Amino acid sequence: MSQWLASVIDRANSVDDWLRPVRQEAVAQLKQTAWPTRRTEAWRYTSLHALKDLTLAEPTAAPASTEAPAITDLNSLDIVFVDGVPTTDIGSLNTPEGVRIYALDNASEEAQTQAKKVMNQAKNASHLFGLVNDALAQQGVVIDVADGAIVEQPIRVVNYVSAGVESHNRVLVKLGAKAQATIIEHGAGQGNSMNTAFAEYLVGDEAKLEHYRFALHGADAIHIGGSHFKLGEASRLNSTIVGYGSQVSRIDTDIVHAAEHADAKMNCIYLLAPSEHFDLHSLIEHAEPNGTTEQNARGIVGDKGRAVFSGRILIHRDAQKTLAELHNRNLLLSRGAQVSTKPALEIYADDVQCAHGATIAEIEEDDLYYLQTRGISREQALVMLNFGFIQELVKQMPNKALSAWLEPLLRERFKTMEPA
Amino acid sequence: MSEQIEQAISREYEAGFVSDIESDTFPPGLDEDVIRRISKMKDEPEWMLEWRLQAFRSWQKMEEPDWAHLGYEPIDYQEISYYSAPKSMKDRPKSLDEVDPELLRTYEKLGIPLHEQEVLAGVAMDVVFDSVSVVTTFREKLAEAGVIFCPISEAIREYPELVKKYLGTVVPRTDNFFAALNSAVFTDGSFVYIPKGVRCPMELSTYFRINELNTGQFERTLIVAEEGSYVSYLEGCTAPMRDENQLHAAVVELVALDNSEIKYSTVQNWYPGDENGVGGIYNFVTKRGVAETNAKISWTQVETGSAITWKYPSCILRGDNSVGEFYSVALTRARQQADTGTKMIHLGKNTTSTIISKGISAGNSSNAYRGLVKMGPNADGARNFTECDSLLIGDTCAAHTFPYIESANPSAIVEHEATTSTVSDDQLFLCQQRGLDIEKAISMIVNGFCKDVFRELPMEFAVEAGKLLEISLEGSVG
Amino acid sequence: MLKIEGLHANVEGNEILKGLDMTVNPGEVHAIMGPNGAGKSTLGYVLSAREEYEVTAGKVSFKEQDLLELEVDERARAGVFLAFQYPVEIPGVSNMEFLKESVNAVRKERGQEALTAAEFLKRAKEACKQVNLPLDFLKRGVNEGFSGGEKKRNEIMQMIMLEPTLCILDESDSGLDIDALKVVADGVNSQRSDDRSFIVITHYQRLLDFIKPDFVHILADGKIVKSGGPELAKEVEASGYAWLENHEEASA
Ligand SMILES: Nc1ncnc2c1ncn2[C@@H]1O[C@H](COP(=O)(O)OP(=O)(O)O)[C@@H](O)[C@H]1O
Ligand SMILES: [Mg+2]
Repeated sequence: MSQWLASVIDRANSVDDWLRPVRQEAVAQLKQTAWPTRRTEAWRYTSLHALKDLTLAEPTAAPASTEAPAITDLNSLDIVFVDGVPTTDIGSLNTPEGVRIYALDNASEEAQTQAKKVMNQAKNASHLFGLVNDALAQQGVVIDVADGAIVEQPIRVVNYVSAGVESHNRVLVKLGAKAQATIIEHGAGQGNSMNTAFAEYLVGDEAKLEHYRFALHGADAIHIGGSHFKLGEASRLNSTIVGYGSQVSRIDTDIVHAAEHADAKMNCIYLLAPSEHFDLHSLIEHAEPNGTTEQNARGIVGDKGRAVFSGRILIHRDAQKTLAELHNRNLLLSRGAQVSTKPALEIYADDVQCAHGATIAEIEEDDLYYLQTRGISREQALVMLNFGFIQELVKQMPNKALSAWLEPLLRERFKTMEPA
Repeated sequence: MSEQIEQAISREYEAGFVSDIESDTFPPGLDEDVIRRISKMKDEPEWMLEWRLQAFRSWQKMEEPDWAHLGYEPIDYQEISYYSAPKSMKDRPKSLDEVDPELLRTYEKLGIPLHEQEVLAGVAMDVVFDSVSVVTTFREKLAEAGVIFCPISEAIREYPELVKKYLGTVVPRTDNFFAALNSAVFTDGSFVYIPKGVRCPMELSTYFRINELNTGQFERTLIVAEEGSYVSYLEGCTAPMRDENQLHAAVVELVALDNSEIKYSTVQNWYPGDENGVGGIYNFVTKRGVAETNAKISWTQVETGSAITWKYPSCILRGDNSVGEFYSVALTRARQQADTGTKMIHLGKNTTSTIISKGISAGNSSNAYRGLVKMGPNADGARNFTECDSLLIGDTCAAHTFPYIESANPSAIVEHEATTSTVSDDQLFLCQQRGLDIEKAISMIVNGFCKDVFRELPMEFAVEAGKLLEISLEGSVG
Repeated sequence: MLKIEGLHANVEGNEILKGLDMTVNPGEVHAIMGPNGAGKSTLGYVLSAREEYEVTAGKVSFKEQDLLELEVDERARAGVFLAFQYPVEIPGVSNMEFLKESVNAVRKERGQEALTAAEFLKRAKEACKQVNLPLDFLKRGVNEGFSGGEKKRNEIMQMIMLEPTLCILDESDSGLDIDALKVVADGVNSQRSDDRSFIVITHYQRLLDFIKPDFVHILADGKIVKSGGPELAKEVEASGYAWLENHEEASA
């Protein structure tokens, strides 16, 4: 076992709070779990070497308060965590109608009941770092949206990690029947940090969830997390995942269609600066009939960067009349860049339409030529075409304040990724 | 409708009879002694025995792979007999007249006439029965062109330098568990050598049959195409219906030197087991080729048999401009399980590969495509195109697609597409409204689905494959 | 040749045909018009035994046989042909191959010899020419990637090849421009004969300018509510189906 994982277990054992049973169960499983190697399918292309014997500081009880990154016109309700510790007074938030928000360490009966309704209901029970999060996350937020509540104001959970610190936090969201809400998981930070951040969403019948996850950590960070969704009948999910690379960056997005007629759309964008790593694992599971899923993941990989995409569509026997599509497209900017993609279909029902596609390519010479004949320089044409490929997904983000904020950020980043 | 479809696709296995032939069969079990005896039976030189023993020692330390999407009872390697030969073969017959008539009848029943005058014009045949090669036709004619086509056991004795030079160079002894086992105990198989610049004057074909109870078949095939040569090779296989599972673990190595081309086609029809999954062949096969500069390797397979199929014919595109192709139809029904696909490893510049895989699942079967496309850092301008389509017939089967795509070269282009579909009620209704019965309709739709692959088969086999598919789909009705 | 009496049919538990009567004699052309959702396509499907369409009452006799007793392909071989409103694609199966199988299946039933490859090809080429489809359509997958108009013409081509006795054309005119419409109509007219009958389902009277019907029926709410000669089609063209509502109220 890795030294780090041993310390996770020790640390978990020393925490005594209302989540102790959850931590103990996780510890029991962690003790059974072998440290992943390249032979472990789920970690085939992601080395955990940097983590194996890591020792970083525990978060301090009162970290320096940091402002949430400002996003013009977003007008979101912000809940800020710094190194896993809330700097927002969650208890006295001015919440929109129909929304109740609790801190995870809130010991009140009401808060615990709400948390328990969601905790480990959507998350993949065997994910190593999900278990680590179970074992160690003491802070987080529980968001409960009442049946039928239509919440206009986006709710943003900012998770800022600073250099030299290891932290863990959790987001638990329940959307009641016919409720509508927008939730943003906004991760950012600098320096060599280690952070796990897992979010679980129970989306009620006919509810609508608009979701964003931004994993905009620094190049030296280790960030491992997941957003996991369980969809109720005729519910709708529209999710956008945006990731920069890091030293180790791994995000799992799992969507389970637990009832009929649910509709999920997910767009994923990754932009890897030189030498960065990013691993996106997605599992789309249709357990019930008549569901639809459309997923588009696109990435650009800079020099010595390494992108990993694993997208699995799993259709159970009862999930007849499912429509599911997954597309992954990648661009490598230079000779040292690498991408590994694994789109998988596992189908147990016959009357379904499922497809996946994956491409790894350069920009088409024909397209370049076309732009050049219109008077655009080759260099600029390359930027336009490469970035256009990402921009298409940015434009599809339903929240315009977010896309207006994100686009220039990505464009700037893209410029730094170009080969010399 | 799906009940009708189910009925329409159940079928009888036509090659399932047992031939009553007296055999010399080793008692079950595997140790160094057994390997020594196999080597001795084959009259092998010392180096070959040594090679086998080393493989065996490695194998003992290896673990059976479990990553494939397959479920089966563990195989007891000590319960298998590793050698069986018809008694009459003790001194290999010099001509067909000396071949046991019962054996000839076996092949007649299978529709494979062995008499040269009756054989399909232009196809030379090597026939392997359990552990030995029974007969190889047209040898003289091939010899005129300088082509060597003989049992590998004979090649080891007659052309030791050639065999030594290439054996194990494409699939090393310790490549994987089943390849190591094969290297230790392989009994027969074909050896093909095409000299420089020669276009092999006829199709070469090997026909494999397992007959004895409780024996495994471990054939080894080695094909070497010298610079600028061409050969098209076909293999077919069948086995009797038995309640016990039997193991088949073959290795095929292809060496395509500069500017040469090897086309390798397989029609695999080992006994698949019965409706309830009792019996059938466990088919664990390692097939790989290396293509040097401007060389081309093309794998075409039609897989309808075996209880378990574990098979990934692969191309290592080492030379610049080399080409790899994989065309596959895999049909599973009843309780069959297949996990099959290919690996295309692009090392050279401007290498290209094409993968067309068509999986058809019916009954309670499971059919998985598993593939790897890898673009190495030096594979400038390399291209791959992959299309994997699955057709599901009925709601109790499963179809999977597991492609692994890795690229480390920015100028390499990979395109992968996969779809699933079913035989829709609309399509069946249209066919029936135009007067076709349901069996015909299904077989036509399935054939249409497979067309891109059948096109790649040599003529003689294309017909056989189409028929095989039709029989596989055809049923008890009428 | 065809006699439908009191036909009731359900689709997914909803009654769509509610007591339909109709008689078609050899050589006659019957046009069926009616508003969307009236049950026109349903009638075509019921006559050709489509599974989801369940007959709950009534009788259909075709050439002195009980048509309802026969399976889909048996009806086709007995001479019932349905030109689909929305033709289906069958990827990979070439038109040629498909037609050859079906033509020979139908011929076998009639006690005729299978066509030789050469004879088949000759007829297929002629049929293509007749509906103005380029010959390479024979090699393409059945309806695979065909435009709407090409699909409709392909249906007529199949009809010509199969030489049925009862042709049911379900909106073979929809989505066609005037030239394509003429092609389809010419194809149909060339097949008219004393022993072949047609049921032409259409939404617009313009097709009937080219295919002259002997009778026109208005199908509404699962029943034939009015029958007449070609002039009835003109009447519909002029006044739409609004008058039907009055009719229904009157009859209710
Ligand atoms: N497969 C089906 N499932 C459910 N309802 C159907 C189906 N086919 C037809 N219907 C319904 O039956 C009615 C008649 O349809 P149809 O015969 O297609 O009308 P028309 O051809 O006259 O426009 C419509 O209300 C339609 O919605
Ligand atoms: Mg209609």
